[in-house]
Amino acid sequence: MLRKRIIFALIYSDGYFTQSRNFRLQRVGDLKWLEKNYQFQKIASSLDELIVIDASKGQKSITSFASMISDLVNDVFIPICAGGGIRSMQDAELLFKSGADKIIVNQILLQNPGLVRELISNYGSQSVVASIDYKQVNGINEVYIDNGSSKIPQRLEEYIRYVELLDIGEIYLNSIDKDGTGFGYDFDTINEIARHISKPLIIAGGAGNENHLIGGLAIKEVSAVATANLFNFIGDGLPNARKKIIDTGVNIANWSPVNS
Amino acid sequence: MATQIRSGNRFRNMRIVIVDYGMGNIKSISSTLQYLEIKDVLFSADYEVLRSADKIILPGVGSFAKAMKRIRDANLDIILEELSVKGTIPLLGICLGMQLLGLSSPEDGFNTGLGFVDGIVTKFDSSACKIPHVGFNQVKPNLSSRLYISLPVFPDFYFTHSYKMNSDTNIHQSMCEYDQEFVASFEKDNIAGVQFHPELSQGNGLQLLKNFIELF
Repeated sequence: MLRKRIIFALIYSDGYFTQSRNFRLQRVGDLKWLEKNYQFQKIASSLDELIVIDASKGQKSITSFASMISDLVNDVFIPICAGGGIRSMQDAELLFKSGADKIIVNQILLQNPGLVRELISNYGSQSVVASIDYKQVNGINEVYIDNGSSKIPQRLEEYIRYVELLDIGEIYLNSIDKDGTGFGYDFDTINEIARHISKPLIIAGGAGNENHLIGGLAIKEVSAVATANLFNFIGDGLPNARKKIIDTGVNIANWSPVNS
Repeated sequence: MATQIRSGNRFRNMRIVIVDYGMGNIKSISSTLQYLEIKDVLFSADYEVLRSADKIILPGVGSFAKAMKRIRDANLDIILEELSVKGTIPLLGICLGMQLLGLSSPEDGFNTGLGFVDGIVTKFDSSACKIPHVGFNQVKPNLSSRLYISLPVFPDFYFTHSYKMNSDTNIHQSMCEYDQEFVASFEKDNIAGVQFHPELSQGNGLQLLKNFIELF
């Protein structure tokens, strides 16, 4: 049986990993900090997948982002999805060469669908994850691009249809309202729209403890739950959460441990 | 655990060549082989280099049609046939690399594969399940298989693909299920293929690669 997945999303900005709250970023530490405080290989063995997003404001350097990715992936035997600021085939190629197994794209879905098609034709749809950020305004789910700063005309449901037609591999759906709050996922919206989504769905935004992860995994149409909450899952937080989730009988994978 | 999974010094002089035809997640595979302490890991499409290999790995991400064209343009179809079908160098195809070892695929129009094993590639049925099939899934190992030695009864491996292989003949296939059963891996003499990504499958994947390295 296909298992559900637990994904950690690392938000990177100008050389640092950050804790995001409603898309406002707070610096936490660099790669050395992450390794020291998170014992990254140990954490990775509790995860099904890792997403790393470059959320640097202003001029992004894809070269330094890619070089960080290439340091991060050593001795980590899980799929790594990287993105944030991919604007060309060369950007994507650099990330793949640096150890990314998939890429995550956001702005170009709307602004350069031709490039998205080209990426899919080159790397296969399973290698391209579509990131969608949304926020509720007067009861309506509105979609934002550019690190949550620009609203686009399409509403969420309509935009999801559009993205599905581009034949991307998966959808990473992130609630800006819930982002970094630790209050739980936007279950109202997810329950309403998940059954209409034809692609594997990763939900993000709001997970603060393992019960939120369990609640997300319990939704039939949800393929994976993501958290970017560096504070709530520090130390043994993730290994303990995974163990509790397995103990409650949720359908996630088991594997032999890898220690270094 | 690492001491068990790592190979120690036994493979100090082993050379593994990853076929370089411009389509593959080479970094993940090579860093996994380095973790297993394979000293000599090379990427090449050169006949002499491939001929010097103790094992060959055929990776692959992307479309079947594009991959076969690049393989034929580089004469790799002829080289791999000589070294691993007529010859005895163990060959492991991973993901698309496994599908390429089969007879044909309809991806981007009908194309023939390398034809080293009797396997036909088709697309998952989008009316019955979400495509791609992505995530860890349990494999039901063939009891005669060497690849799954020391692994759990139904080990989890990481899959990500929209096309799958099936075969009517006995290629010692181990099966996986997503809507319908399909070939998760096969092994025929010195040639093996895995639909999943052992390099992205935690300790299970390391053990499987170690089995290929030690037992093929």
